[in-house]
Amino acid sequence: MMKRKVVNLVLSCIGPIALIIILTMPIGPLTGGLGIIQPIGGIFDNGAPGPGSQRITLNGLDAEVEVIVDYLGIPHIYAESTHDAFMALGYMHARDRLFQITMQNYFAAGRISEIVGAYAASSDMYYRSIGLKRAAQSTLDWYEANAATDPDIALELDAIYAEVEGANAFIRSMTPANTPIEFKILGFTPELWQPVDCFVNAKMLTWGLSGGVADFQRQWIRQELDNDSMYNELFPDLMPFTEPIIQEQVNISYSEYPLAPGKLPATDDPGQYKSMALAEEAYIPKDKLESLITIINNVLSPFGERELVGSNNWAINGSKSSTGTPILAGDPHLTLQAPSVWYEAHLVVPGELDVTGTTFPGLPAVLIGHNDHVAYSFTNVGADVTDIFVEQLNPLNPNQYLYNGEYRDFVIHEENIRTKEGYVIPFNVSESVHGPCIDSVINTYGMYGDSHPNLAMNWTGNSITHEMIAAGGFMRADNLNEFIDAMYWWDSPPQNCVFADDSGNIAMLVVGRFPVRAGYTGEFPVEALNDSVGMVSNIPYAYNPREINPARCFVSSANQRTIDPSEYGYDILGPQANGYRGRRIFYLLDNNDGISVDDMKRFQADAVEVRAEVIVPYVIAAWDGSGEENATITNQVDLLRVWDFDMEPDLIAPTIWMYLIDALHYETFDEIRTINSSIPLSRTPILEELIVTNNTYYFDDHSTVGIVETRDDILVRALHTAIDTLTQEWQDETNWDYGNRHIYYIDHLAGFTVIGNVPARGQDTLDVAPGWVVTHGPSTRLIADLGNIDMSYMAYPGGQSGNMFSPHWSDIFDLWYSYNESTRQHGYHILYFYSSATAFSTADTDGTLIERTITFVP
Amino acid sequence: MGKIDDTVPELRFIPALVITIIFGIALQLAGDWKLMLIAGALGALFVRRIRKAFLVGFLGIGLAWGLIFVYLSVTAQAMAVANMFIGLLGLEGLGAVVIVISVLIGALLGGFGGMLGRSLYELIDEFLPSSSGGEQTP
Repeated sequence: MMKRKVVNLVLSCIGPIALIIILTMPIGPLTGGLGIIQPIGGIFDNGAPGPGSQRITLNGLDAEVEVIVDYLGIPHIYAESTHDAFMALGYMHARDRLFQITMQNYFAAGRISEIVGAYAASSDMYYRSIGLKRAAQSTLDWYEANAATDPDIALELDAIYAEVEGANAFIRSMTPANTPIEFKILGFTPELWQPVDCFVNAKMLTWGLSGGVADFQRQWIRQELDNDSMYNELFPDLMPFTEPIIQEQVNISYSEYPLAPGKLPATDDPGQYKSMALAEEAYIPKDKLESLITIINNVLSPFGERELVGSNNWAINGSKSSTGTPILAGDPHLTLQAPSVWYEAHLVVPGELDVTGTTFPGLPAVLIGHNDHVAYSFTNVGADVTDIFVEQLNPLNPNQYLYNGEYRDFVIHEENIRTKEGYVIPFNVSESVHGPCIDSVINTYGMYGDSHPNLAMNWTGNSITHEMIAAGGFMRADNLNEFIDAMYWWDSPPQNCVFADDSGNIAMLVVGRFPVRAGYTGEFPVEALNDSVGMVSNIPYAYNPREINPARCFVSSANQRTIDPSEYGYDILGPQANGYRGRRIFYLLDNNDGISVDDMKRFQADAVEVRAEVIVPYVIAAWDGSGEENATITNQVDLLRVWDFDMEPDLIAPTIWMYLIDALHYETFDEIRTINSSIPLSRTPILEELIVTNNTYYFDDHSTVGIVETRDDILVRALHTAIDTLTQEWQDETNWDYGNRHIYYIDHLAGFTVIGNVPARGQDTLDVAPGWVVTHGPSTRLIADLGNIDMSYMAYPGGQSGNMFSPHWSDIFDLWYSYNESTRQHGYHILYFYSSATAFSTADTDGTLIERTITFVP
Repeated sequence: MGKIDDTVPELRFIPALVITIIFGIALQLAGDWKLMLIAGALGALFVRRIRKAFLVGFLGIGLAWGLIFVYLSVTAQAMAVANMFIGLLGLEGLGAVVIVISVLIGALLGGFGGMLGRSLYELIDEFLPSSSGGEQTP
């Protein structure tokens, strides 16, 4: 009897044990196991907070903080100290965006394999080679060492500590109900934040905007072409027809600002370096070069492909505006991701801070927006501030390199990569005096001539940087002088910062550290065997490019050439944007007066393709002059003939244009594609210049024998190619409306869902939407009316919540995407700017403005 | 202390099932599916045969989870979550399958918990004196 009962018990254990094993084992991408599909405590606890106010204890607060969450989920934080305000912001960041912040942090720190598994190890190796985490730690150490002697540093360090403290308060209080669903599915438990994580986030932002290794690409193209004249003509650093951003340079006092941004060494005599003989370009073996380019291209950049990272911003003063006071507009173009790059917040600390706009989740700062006196927004300069130095290794000891006449040891960073599966992948990064060896990422050195890494990367962001101190300052600035003073700290990444204030000033401040190079141009890898060659100094902040209240009454930027090189004593190396958006903004602002806030909204939605506006008339004229009688092409040309160059989704002409521009590059640049089809077919301003000047050399197809093609021959041939390709690729489509295939596709960070999948306007236009499947674009839109700051506007393509089942997951996207045909504007929301919680509550007369109140108590 | 089966009365199937459902809902609120083994085992206190214990646990927890899913579908977009989840496995639009599988998992946890519980009670009872004061059997 007893034996039978023991046997029964043992047999009864089989089912539970088997179930426990089945429910905890990973299934494909669902590493959290099937147990997560239980009704409570698993994925069905989706964390959407119920309606109603909350009261949350936050240890570390000095006083009570009231947070009004508006109808879009945007927190308006009312605190008695900045420490408390940033602590509440940290809590809100973590509450709404913890998965995003964790992903971006692990990604930048080279730890993403810990979340998603060993298949991401190559990404981790790349980011550990760059060393964002090491640079972040150095930066934190510097802040902590200098906080006691500089109140600006102390203030920002306190903000960072507060952000981390607030975020950790949320993480500690996490329950299954508010744990992001992604963590449950991936079976990952987030760690508490450390202050260094804030700097890792900042470094990722910096790398995404100013990193990248153009030197490899340039050298590869030049080697492949093997024709320096052609290289210089087709791949110049300066694009033709560019409307430079800075046209009326204003220097500020050198005696007051003698150092470079970040308060780093500077030189007011760049000429002394220009006379130096240039070091020879150091050629990297072709197979190694191609491997590096492939690896770099395969690793995700923080904000998407470098050439697609761009932005628009502009401001008009009272003479141009309908209000008599400045109006400012800004729309930074970054990768469109879900959740969004940005998180909106309004921070109020009476007497100290009253600022609203977009924050970068994980950073205690409003980076784009306005306070009670000034408004600001950024575009990327796109300057090349990264150089490659080829180290000469000691033949007897490859762990040493030659510098200043002696062999020095590389510093070896042991970067063991841990994976989700529990493996440890040993990985070392060598670092020379110039920086970390980027080719550490290649783990098959035996196939190349060099047996050890020797390509040191000198990136201005890969050091102690001070942009967070600047952010702490410019958010609080009351006027232009205070703003300029705060930007003295901004060293990385270089940005075009548009500014306007309620005193009537407008400015375009090119902020950031620009290196002064000696003995080389920075375009190609070089050997630098001593300290006379390299980034030897910087442009003094006093002489950074800037415009203040220019005579034309407006300032604008769209990533194009910063300043005409012939009018500036220092070199700023590109490549910068093609300049079409810059030309369009300049045209609109130059040719309009009495510009209103509504006009500014209309300009941000402008979808006129300047490239087409210039080039299509030449193509039509060439077709008309050809005498050909092809009915299919004639029909398509007729559509182009009546087109107003608006890239609207319900038109066919934009579809034709997309194929035409590709075909024009293809047919014109036979000189490139016949060498190697992987080489970019030059850039459109070069094509435009060849068309406008009727260049005979490049329009002749050198692959044909005994025939000399004219420009018009090639334009007509391109038309044939375009229509043939279009007909072939769209044979399954009933109509060729642009919006059938030009769509927004905003992917979730882990690929769990999508926002959008809807027709998109624009292309290389002010309302930018590059390619067919649009994954980059205006990451937010700001219009600030300095005459009535309470009626300023914003919208970004997403929502405040990182919870895909929250009503605030994509509600702001709906607004951002909406387009009114009659006003020709996208949707915006008012940036509510009530100075106190009471004022906000009082204004909410019908209960539609405020969703809930969260009171944080000490 | 008397034997477990002397202390806890045997109930008819339906009352035992209702008690198991209540245990299932209460313990599931803690958010740990492993507790369903315990819920099933608690339900098995009220029946006397292993086969019946499995059945009361299986149906009790299955119904408990089913009821919770009905509530979550109304209040917390359970179907949308299920559709997203199944989409990750490449099976778009089959969210209901996730919920059915989930309920089945809960039922099996309850059933196996019931069997385990009943087996355990019967073994423990071998070591306990009867409530009428009888001798402990070796």
